Amino acid sequence: MSVSYKAVQWNRQKLVYDAVLLAALGTYLVGFHQLAPRLDPNVEPMNLRMRAFGSAAFLLLHVVLSIGPLCRIDRRFLPLLYNRRHMGVVLCGLALYHADLALTWYHAYGNLEPVVSLFVSNPAVGSVARFPFEWLGAGALAILVLMAATSHDFWLANLTAPTWKALHMGVYAAYALLVGHVALGALQTNTHPGLTAGVVLGALWILGVHLVAAHRERAADTPATAGADGWVEVCAVGEIPEDRARVVFAGGERIAVFRYDGRLSALSAVCQHQNGPLGEGRIVDGLVTCPWHGFQYRPDCGAAPEPFTEKLPTFDLALRQGRVWVNPRPHPPGTPVEPLPVPGAPGGEAA
Amino acid sequence: MIAIVETAVTLARLYGALGLAFAVAFVLLGIQRVDPSARGASWGFRVAVIPGVVLLWPLLALRWLRGRQTPVERNAHRAAATGGAR
Ligand code: HEM
Ligand code: FES
Repeated sequence: MSVSYKAVQWNRQKLVYDAVLLAALGTYLVGFHQLAPRLDPNVEPMNLRMRAFGSAAFLLLHVVLSIGPLCRIDRRFLPLLYNRRHMGVVLCGLALYHADLALTWYHAYGNLEPVVSLFVSNPAVGSVARFPFEWLGAGALAILVLMAATSHDFWLANLTAPTWKALHMGVYAAYALLVGHVALGALQTNTHPGLTAGVVLGALWILGVHLVAAHRERAADTPATAGADGWVEVCAVGEIPEDRARVVFAGGERIAVFRYDGRLSALSAVCQHQNGPLGEGRIVDGLVTCPWHGFQYRPDCGAAPEPFTEKLPTFDLALRQGRVWVNPRPHPPGTPVEPLPVPGAPGGEAA
Repeated sequence: MIAIVETAVTLARLYGALGLAFAVAFVLLGIQRVDPSARGASWGFRVAVIPGVVLLWPLLALRWLRGRQTPVERNAHRAAATGGAR
C-alpha cells in the first residue's frame, strides 16, 4: 500500500455487495422468526432469536468457505470474492450476538459471572449427549473474532500476506468446531432432525468444492522441468492470449508470463496484497491486474504504479524455436526487464 | 475448576485492558511510525484497527519499541532474488 488507509474502502461495487448481503440476512432472520415457530410451537422467543442468529452465522460461514474454491472452479464467482472480508465481519457480528444471547439466557442467573459459568457448568466431556457443546462454539467465536479484528488491509501489510493467510486458515478450525457445536447442540436441545441433516449436507458440500478445486490447483503447481541451462519452457508463443498470462511453477512459486502490445513479460505470480493468483489476472490499461481485488503492477518491472509501493520479482524471458522460456532465477522485486517482442505481432518485431 | 477458570478469565481481562491502553496510544502516536501508509490516515481507520491491536498488541509494541516498520513478505522467489538475505 501507500496512500493513506481508510476505515472502509467503500466503492460502488462494495456498497452494492454489502446492501445485497444485508438484505439477504434481513430476509433470512425475519423468515426464520416467522417459520421456525410453526415447526416447533413451544420454542421460547429467546431461543428463537438465538437460533436465528446462530444459524445465520453458520450458513454465512458456508458461503464464505465456498467462495474460494468456487472461484478456482469458475471465474464468474470472482465478484463474490472481491468483498468477502465484509462477509466475515458481518458473520462475526451475528455470532457475537448469538453468543451474547446464550450467555444472558443460560448463564446470567447464577452467582457466577456468565463467562465463568460457561466454562464450569456442564463439564461432561466424556459424554456425547451432554458434551459441553458451548465450549466448541466459544472456541470458534474466538477464531472468528481474531479474523474479523485483523481483516483490515493494515493487518495484511503489517503481518504480511503469508502470515495473514495462515492466520485466516483458522476459519477451517472454526468450521470444524462449529460442526461439533451445532451437531451436538442440536442433539441436546432436541431441535428439528432436519438440522442434523443440514449440517451433514453442508459439510459434504464444503468438502466437495474443496476437493474439486484442489484437484485443479495441483495440476497448476507441478514444478516445470528445467533445461540444461536451468531455464524452463513455458509454452508456444501463440498459446498466450493477448492481455493474459500463462503460468509455470518454477523457483518454488508460480511465474506468470503476460502477453500485451506484442510483447512478453514475466512476474512472480503472487499478488502482494493477499497473495491472490496474479497469473489469472489480465492486463488492464497496460497494467497486470489481480483478479481478486484489482491491485495493479507494471508488467515490465513488477512495481505497482505510483503512489503504491508493492513490488514483485521479475524474470528474464527468451524465445527458442517459437517457444517461450523463462529463467527461474528471479530479479529483486521491482527490477525492470526489457519485454520480449513477439515475432510478427503488431507492436512486436517483424518475423 | 472454578478457581482455574476465574483466574484464566482475570488474566484474559488484564491482557485486554493492557491492550486497550496500548491501542489508544498506538493509534494516536505509534501507528504512523510503524506503517508509513498510516500517516494522516482518518479517524475511522484508527478506530477500525483498535480491536486487532487489543488482541495482537505485544507484536506491535515490540515493533514500535525497536523502531521497525512494516515487513515485506517472504516467499521462494523473493528469497532467491535477494540471495536469501534481506
Ligand atoms: C460462546 C460462544 C457460543 C455459545 C455460548 C453458544 C451457545 C449456543 C446454544 C446454547 C445453543 C442452543 C440453542 C438452542 O437450541 O436453544 C446454540 C446453538 C447453535 N449455535 Fe451457538 N454458541 C456459541 C457460538 C456460536 C457460533 C460462533 C456460531 C456460528 C458461527 C454458533 C452457531 C450455532 C448454531 C447454528 C446453533 C443451532 C441453532 C439451531 O438449533 O437452530 N454458535 N449455541
Ligand atoms: S490479492 Fe487482493 S488484489 Fe491481489
